[in-house]
Amino acid sequence: MASTSGSSRRNAALRLLKRRLLQAIPLMLGVVVINFVLIHLAPGSFLELMTAENQVSDPATVELLRKTYGLDDPVWLQLVKYIWALMHLDFGFSYRQNMPVLDAIWVGLPATLLLMISSITLAFVIGVAAGVVASAKVRTVWDTAVSVAAMFFFAAPSFWLGIMMIVLFAVKLGWLPVSGMETIGGGGGVLDILHHLILPTLALGLFYAATYARVMRSSMLEVAQLDFVRTARAKGLSRRRVTLSHVLRNALLPVVTILGVQMGTILAGSVVIESVFSWPGVGSLLFDSVSSRNYPVVLGIMVLGSLVVIAANIAVDLIYMWLDPRIEIR
Amino acid sequence: MAAVPLEVSDLRTTLFTRRGEMKAVDGLSLSVGAGETVALVGESGCGKSLSALSIMRLLPDPPARIVGGAVKLNGRDIVPLSEESMLDIRGKEIGMIFQDPMSALNPVATIEKQIAEVVMAHTGLGRFQARARAHELLEQVGIPDAARRLDAYPHQLSGGMCQRVVIAMAIACSPSVLIADEPTTALDVTVQAQVLTLLKRLQAEAGMAMIFITHDLGVVAETADRVVVMYAGRKVEEAAVDDLFEAPLHPYTAGLIGATPVPGAVRAERLADIPGMVPPLNALPPGCAFAPRCPRAMDRCRTERPALTEPRPGRRVACFAAEKGPT
Amino acid sequence: MERFAFLGRFARNRGALAGTVIILLVAFAALSAPVFFPTDPLRMVAQPELWPGEDPAFPLGTDSLGRDMLAMLVHGARATLLIGLFASAVATLIGVSVGAAAGYFGGWIDETAMRAVELFQTIPNLIFVLTIVVILGSTLHNIVIAIGIVSWTPIARMTRAEFLALRDREFVQACRSMGMGDFGIIVREILPNALPPVIVLSSLVVAGAILFESAVSFLGLGDPNIASWGRLVGDGRELIRSSWYICAIPGVAIMVTVLCLNLIGDGLNDALNPKLRDR
Repeated sequence: MASTSGSSRRNAALRLLKRRLLQAIPLMLGVVVINFVLIHLAPGSFLELMTAENQVSDPATVELLRKTYGLDDPVWLQLVKYIWALMHLDFGFSYRQNMPVLDAIWVGLPATLLLMISSITLAFVIGVAAGVVASAKVRTVWDTAVSVAAMFFFAAPSFWLGIMMIVLFAVKLGWLPVSGMETIGGGGGVLDILHHLILPTLALGLFYAATYARVMRSSMLEVAQLDFVRTARAKGLSRRRVTLSHVLRNALLPVVTILGVQMGTILAGSVVIESVFSWPGVGSLLFDSVSSRNYPVVLGIMVLGSLVVIAANIAVDLIYMWLDPRIEIR
Repeated sequence: MAAVPLEVSDLRTTLFTRRGEMKAVDGLSLSVGAGETVALVGESGCGKSLSALSIMRLLPDPPARIVGGAVKLNGRDIVPLSEESMLDIRGKEIGMIFQDPMSALNPVATIEKQIAEVVMAHTGLGRFQARARAHELLEQVGIPDAARRLDAYPHQLSGGMCQRVVIAMAIACSPSVLIADEPTTALDVTVQAQVLTLLKRLQAEAGMAMIFITHDLGVVAETADRVVVMYAGRKVEEAAVDDLFEAPLHPYTAGLIGATPVPGAVRAERLADIPGMVPPLNALPPGCAFAPRCPRAMDRCRTERPALTEPRPGRRVACFAAEKGPT
Repeated sequence: MERFAFLGRFARNRGALAGTVIILLVAFAALSAPVFFPTDPLRMVAQPELWPGEDPAFPLGTDSLGRDMLAMLVHGARATLLIGLFASAVATLIGVSVGAAAGYFGGWIDETAMRAVELFQTIPNLIFVLTIVVILGSTLHNIVIAIGIVSWTPIARMTRAEFLALRDREFVQACRSMGMGDFGIIVREILPNALPPVIVLSSLVVAGAILFESAVSFLGLGDPNIASWGRLVGDGRELIRSSWYICAIPGVAIMVTVLCLNLIGDGLNDALNPKLRDR
């Protein structure tokens, strides 16, 4: 007989946290190894590329690079050294930015996370609300409207949607800023940032809102067929009450599952949107590093990005656990 | 004189489907007095559950709809009432218990929430008082360690415990009528007996009128005062429980009794099976719906539908063969 | 018989039917591009930034360099559709292999495969694609492979689930008792039964791959010799104040194509599970 007090659920949550953190270690190792190997598949020597792209010609500097990256070592030893360095939060040094890789990434990370979180929130709220409305008014104009809208946003490329919204809301109507995160000179307030956040959030979030609306609708209809819904109605609760207090929470479960699976995609998607809106996140650093073959930064972004995804997934797991008390931790 | 708690007359419920209209409940009449238990008996698909849902006005619409008749609850016909008025009746004047207690409870809500909800919906009680009432109800339905169970979730309780919770919700507002739809079918045999005992005790304490739906005649013998036998949406026989077991008039009833091992009953040792199956509602034969399976069917049974007759007061049957003589 | 019933159910789904017709039209346009627009679509033919309808010779107008939008669109359809199809094929190949092995053998193979699925769901997929493309070079087949590598996980999950459900069925056990090898059982006995839902999923992966490719090209990392639709959108983004149609038109083409592929996928899914339709 499981104990049911709040403290036991807190313990279960801690157990889940511990297990997920343990699982994250091999996962992170995998991420590092795959990307490391990928980078070493690059044609031409690592050093040649680095020096050529970064316009380093001074032989002393080349020698220094060779030393710091341990490029004379066999690949496996380089990998071990890299992992060892990562464990000490040493992501290497970027000569292009002339600062440690971690610092370079750190500059853009808050903006990227802000965009990611606001998009997920928007997608979840709009998607769930639309799915609930569509299922409550199933086979009516409302249902059709939600389905059609979901169909379009599910098919529209996010970058294109972003550009079209810039054309309409920024260029033609002038309601919202074209790009950036703050008004140049005199900006910077919370409201100013929110104002700049609207379009990028919509561009990135609407695709996911469409996904969640579809899943939520069918999930609501499925749960509404279950026995406990009839029990609740037999208690004299109105249809609306039953939907909100019994069907909704059960129907959310598949949506939360999908949310977890899509975390990596959402993070990656924000990079494209950042490019459309000149959003000062990690995206521009990534493009710069990718096209200049600044591999330490690329690797660092991958590793940190995967860490963000893993953390987000753990958060999603905890939410799922809070929603569904049947989840027991082995 | 106080009104009869539940009086159903000529209730008709039709399923409107793509394959045509099906009369799922066809002219059902029955009345249940205070403290009385009427068993509604028949094989699955004979319209028992739809009758119950019709009385609760909880039919899935579409496809099902009440097309005629009256359901008088304490003297008031509830068939014409609006959905809004029904909200004040369900859970307050009629309670209902379902077949599978595990799926009848919301898996992600605590026991307390699910009981308190019905209490708060029909009384002015606040959250705190509703919790106290839920606690009281859990003790009333015999759940040990009730205080701790309030915060439990359904999956943490056994099937029998869950059914006690469902019962607690059904009786929370002291309804005058209780409908129990196969309340013991999904439970273990030992638990079945406990739940039946509990139901009888609660009924006796509150003087509730109870409709007990089952296909298990063994349970009928233990719980019911009167029995209504249904076949293909119609009442085919009605009798006091002792009369029915002693001398079933309808061949279908006889078949059902023969098919059930009833301790002490005459045919306990014979486990006869009724051949064939309940005909689909959209393909009912023109005469008596039971005729194709009936051992005593005559030519007349296949062309003409027998009306319900009352050979003795309180004893009704719809069968030509029964009119000629006993089984 | 079964096949006809399937096609019948599919054809009765109006959305799926419309989607199929439009996709066939797009495919036809792509195939016939060299016939109707035999010259290089990237050649300047007229005055730049002609709006659609301004000159009847260029019904969709011209871009900033005076290139015919319609010609570029039709030629771009080839690249977009081909990349979508081949990337989906790569994803299906990887996904089915991994999923089949995981579901059939179970044990540590399953465990490893599922960890790999998790790994690829963790890596931010588009960033990974960009990295692969830049490191290995922006060629058509590198893009196809890169998209395939990040798109196989749902297919692997589904194939695994199907294999888990099928591997202990009587017909499989019969084959095993007759001494048939694992490979034979997987390929000849289980796979044909597991394939229908996988194919449905693959059709949705085509749609996803097209979106991926358009993002890569939009960012300017696509194959420089190919004007896919995503690149056309990217080329036009500097001119949105004056000539936003340059961005809008190829974007609509992407959206319509992806939309139709999704409709087809939904239609196939419904036709496969006729039970769900009656609800």
